[in-house]
Amino acid sequence: VKPDTIPLPPGTHLLIAQSGKIDHVPLDGNDMRKSDAKALLYVPDKVVIGVAYDCLEKMVYWTDISSPSISRASLGGGEPVSIIKTDLESPEGIALDHLGRTIFWTDSQLDRIEVAKLDGSQRRVLFDTDLVNPRAIVADPMRGNLYWTDWNREAPKIEASYMDGTNRRILVKEDLGLPNGLTFDTYSSLLCWVDAGTKRVECMDPNQLGRRKILEGIQYPFSITSYGKNLFYTDWRRDAVVTVDRTTSQETDNFQPHKRTRLYGITTALAQCPQGHNYCSVN
Amino acid sequence: DATTGSSSDCQPCPCPGGSSCAIVPKTKEVVCTSCPAGTTGKRCELCDDGYFGDPLGENGPARLCRLCQCSDNIDPNAVGNCNRLTGECLKCIYNTAGFYCDRCKDGFYGNPLAQNTEDKCKACSCNPYGTVNLQTNCNQVTGQCECLPHVTERDCSSCQPGFYNLQSRRGCERCNCHPLGSTN
Repeated sequence: VKPDTIPLPPGTHLLIAQSGKIDHVPLDGNDMRKSDAKALLYVPDKVVIGVAYDCLEKMVYWTDISSPSISRASLGGGEPVSIIKTDLESPEGIALDHLGRTIFWTDSQLDRIEVAKLDGSQRRVLFDTDLVNPRAIVADPMRGNLYWTDWNREAPKIEASYMDGTNRRILVKEDLGLPNGLTFDTYSSLLCWVDAGTKRVECMDPNQLGRRKILEGIQYPFSITSYGKNLFYTDWRRDAVVTVDRTTSQETDNFQPHKRTRLYGITTALAQCPQGHNYCSVN
Repeated sequence: DATTGSSSDCQPCPCPGGSSCAIVPKTKEVVCTSCPAGTTGKRCELCDDGYFGDPLGENGPARLCRLCQCSDNIDPNAVGNCNRLTGECLKCIYNTAGFYCDRCKDGFYGNPLAQNTEDKCKACSCNPYGTVNLQTNCNQVTGQCECLPHVTERDCSSCQPGFYNLQSRRGCERCNCHPLGSTN
C-alpha cells in the first residue's frame, strides 16, 4: 500500500524533494515559515528528483529514477498514481503547463524531452537531438515558452522553444558550468538558474537577453524556484534550501530538513493560478 | 494513536536505534523519518541515491551503504549512478561499460582505468572495406579489428605489402608483379 499525501493548508508553499519524500514549507509573504515545514508525501522506496505543481487541480507531479516513472498525487490527500511507467530511464526535470494541461520532462539517459497530457496520455517526444545531460525544465504557459538546461560538461547550455517544440534556440552557452536548476517567474518575466560549476545564481530576461549575476560562490546547487522577490535553491553540500533575495543579491535564510540527505527538486505551489490563456488551452 | 486511551496506544518505532517514525494517515503505514546517514526506505532498509548496500541484510548478509564504485567513470553531477542494492553502475561515461564501468563499451578500446580521459576508451573505427563482416567491434585492449585476408593495420585500413584492392571488400589480392620487371 502506498502512503497517501497529507492534506496541505491553503496558501503558497515550497515543495521540496528529498529522496523518498516530498516536504512542504509554507510561505509567509515571500519568506519560509520553517517552523511549519512538514512532510507532504512519503514514497520511501523511491528516489524523487523533479517536482512540479498543478495550481488548478492542486496536484503534485514528480519524477522517480529508482523505478523510472512519473507520478502524481492530490494535495488534498489521496493516493499517488503513476501516470507514466514505460520507456523512461532517468526522468529528472518536470514542468507543468496549467493552461494547456500538459507536463514536460527531461530524461538524461534517453537524452530526450517529452510531453504528455496530465494523465500521461498523448505522450510525444519533443526533442531527441543535441541533448547530452538535459536536467531542469520550466514552462511559461502565458507566453507559450519552454526552457531547459543541459549540463553537458563539453558544452553546457540553456535552451528555449515554443511549447509545441518549434522555434528551438540556444539562449545561453557562454560562461556556464553545470546548470542544474532553472526557474521562470511569470510576474517578473525573469528566467533564473543555478550552476554547480560556476557556483552562481544568475537571471536574465529571455526577451532582452540581458544577463545578471545574482550571487557567486555558492556551494552545490541542484534546483531552484522563485516567488516574489525571492529565489529558493536546494544545495547538495548544505542539504538545505537557501533563500536568495534577487533584488538585493543577498542570501537571507536557509532551511535544513531534520533528515540530512541530499535535496533534489524544488517548486512553488502557488495558492492561485496566474490568470491567462494560451494556444494549447483553447485548441 | 494516543487518543484511544489504552496503554498500548503508543508503540516503539520499528526503526534502527529506535529513531523516529510517522504514521501515514489513511493507510496507517509506519514510515521511519530519521534513518541513519546514507540510508532511507520505510524501515531504513535502502541506501540513498549514489550509495549501494543492504544495510538490514534483507537480501543476504548485511552490507553497509557505500558510495557507488564505478572506477571513476561516472559523473558526480549525475543522479542514479548505481543500483542501490547491487551497486551495478548505471551511468558509465568516457565510453566505458560493465558492472563497475571497468571495460570499454562495444566499438571502443583502450584502458578504462587510465588516469587521463583521453587515454581511456577510443573508438575502434574499423575500416569497413578491410574488416570481416563490417564489424564495428575490436579487441578491447589492443584495438585490433578483425581484418579480411591480407589486410593489415589496427583498423584494417591497408593491404599487406605485395597486395592491393582493399575496396573489393573481400580482402586484398596479390599484386602478381613479374619479379624481373618490378622495382621491389
